Amino acid sequence: MRFSRGNVRMSDHAIFEHAFGAALAGQASVWSTDPRIRRALTIHRNTSHKAAQDALAANYPVIVQLVGEEAFAACAAAFVEERPPAEPRLCLYGDGFGDFLRDYAPFVELGWLGNVAALERLVVETMFAADHCVFDGAALDLESALPLHAATRIGRLSGPAVSIWRAHQPDGDPDALASLEWIDEIALVTRPAGSVMVTSIDAIAADFLDSCNAGRALGEAASMAVENGADLTALFAVLIGAGAFAAIDSGD
Amino acid sequence: MQPTAGLGFKMEHLDEALASRDPGLWFEVHAENYMVDGGPRLAALAALRATHPISIHGVGLSIASSDRPCPNHLARLKTLCDRIDPMLVSDHLAWQRWNGVHVSDFLPFPRTRAALAHTVTNVTIVQQALGRRLLVENPSLYVDLPGHMMSEAEFLNELADATGCGLILDVNNVYVSASNLGFDAIQALRAINADAVCEIHLAGHTADADADFPLLIDTHGAPIAEAVWTLYAGLVDRIGPRPTLIERDDDIPPFQTLVAERHRAHAVLTGQRAHV
Repeated sequence: MRFSRGNVRMSDHAIFEHAFGAALAGQASVWSTDPRIRRALTIHRNTSHKAAQDALAANYPVIVQLVGEEAFAACAAAFVEERPPAEPRLCLYGDGFGDFLRDYAPFVELGWLGNVAALERLVVETMFAADHCVFDGAALDLESALPLHAATRIGRLSGPAVSIWRAHQPDGDPDALASLEWIDEIALVTRPAGSVMVTSIDAIAADFLDSCNAGRALGEAASMAVENGADLTALFAVLIGAGAFAAIDSGD
Repeated sequence: MQPTAGLGFKMEHLDEALASRDPGLWFEVHAENYMVDGGPRLAALAALRATHPISIHGVGLSIASSDRPCPNHLARLKTLCDRIDPMLVSDHLAWQRWNGVHVSDFLPFPRTRAALAHTVTNVTIVQQALGRRLLVENPSLYVDLPGHMMSEAEFLNELADATGCGLILDVNNVYVSASNLGFDAIQALRAINADAVCEIHLAGHTADADADFPLLIDTHGAPIAEAVWTLYAGLVDRIGPRPTLIERDDDIPPFQTLVAERHRAHAVLTGQRAHV
């Protein structure tokens, strides 16, 4: 039993929690017979599920727009049932929602939704990552590694997830979807100047960032990028402009 | 210092909150929304802290669990408290963990000696980890479970005695529980040790129509009910003023609507009964 703890005998309180929790989860329990208790259980279940579903909607606003609030609510209810929150920080809830969407029967025709959700997950991770000064491009040291900023994420996504995401931002252009090219995109998610930025980058840039993240010296990583056909000036302009790197002597 | 009224902080009110110079205004935030490594939300809270006192109100410590508080959660709460230096830190008399799942609500339990012993241990662990006094809030109850060995007031009073913790008296929760369970709200408020009460919460509730068991639900999604204002005025009249929070977590109105509710609480705190 999970309640035995050292030489402390299982308390009546622990026994209660075990049985009441089972009833709350919809399992047979001594606490699921009394109609008044069942009614209270329903309220607690509704309140906690609503909190998790609201958190999911807050973290996947583009998916909400893409499928509509009603369809999203049904999908969110299924997700919360299958993968309920494991901890109280609901602002981080929803890891794995992209994978869930790929297998969610009502959206089976929309296989690309999972990739947009995967990008939205990266946006959440970037939003709440640790604070560091952004590397501004001064004092490049070819002999040393250039660390990625704690908020930097790279997403190799199937389909044009970046373009779809961007068209659904408050300042996005919905008409851009009319000319959507169905190609795989790579997302660079960063947080320069305090707000999240999503940039589409090519495979050379993504590989270069991976090299930097693996701790290769900047000169070595840059040489590899050049061998792959990179224009270093343009590459650095994009990556440093996006705030992808951390200033080397920075702290909180 | 004269206790004043504060507002539950909503991010959509950030600009107005930062600009407000209402005397004595403070804000309360849900701890878990800010227990993150960094980013703009935490920066916004730090900016608000530069202009106003902040109270940190947890919704996830699960202090009435038979399990000990999650060490990672506690460490993050301490980091947040060290960053913000809040005027108050609080959470709820409830348990919230089962089988690896976090339940985002405040679950009831039979108030036994064993439950009290677990809660005393947990509150002590939290206070030692934070190096601060914790305030514990009475939750809304929807059913009178069998097996209670003491009233909620007796449980909270003993908890405060044993741990030195303070109490948040949520008047709306007392009203909701009294209505749902059929006890007298005024008597319940009188039974709480006034010396331990360090903060008062006021919020709105919603009636849930159900043919068999109509209940009041603690939704924080409506204005504060008149009956709750009346209980509040009586409470302050009896025990004196305490920092008082206007809570709203759903169907969020404009900032000025909450400010108006705050002014009403302020009138009670300063003895201007004519405004109630």
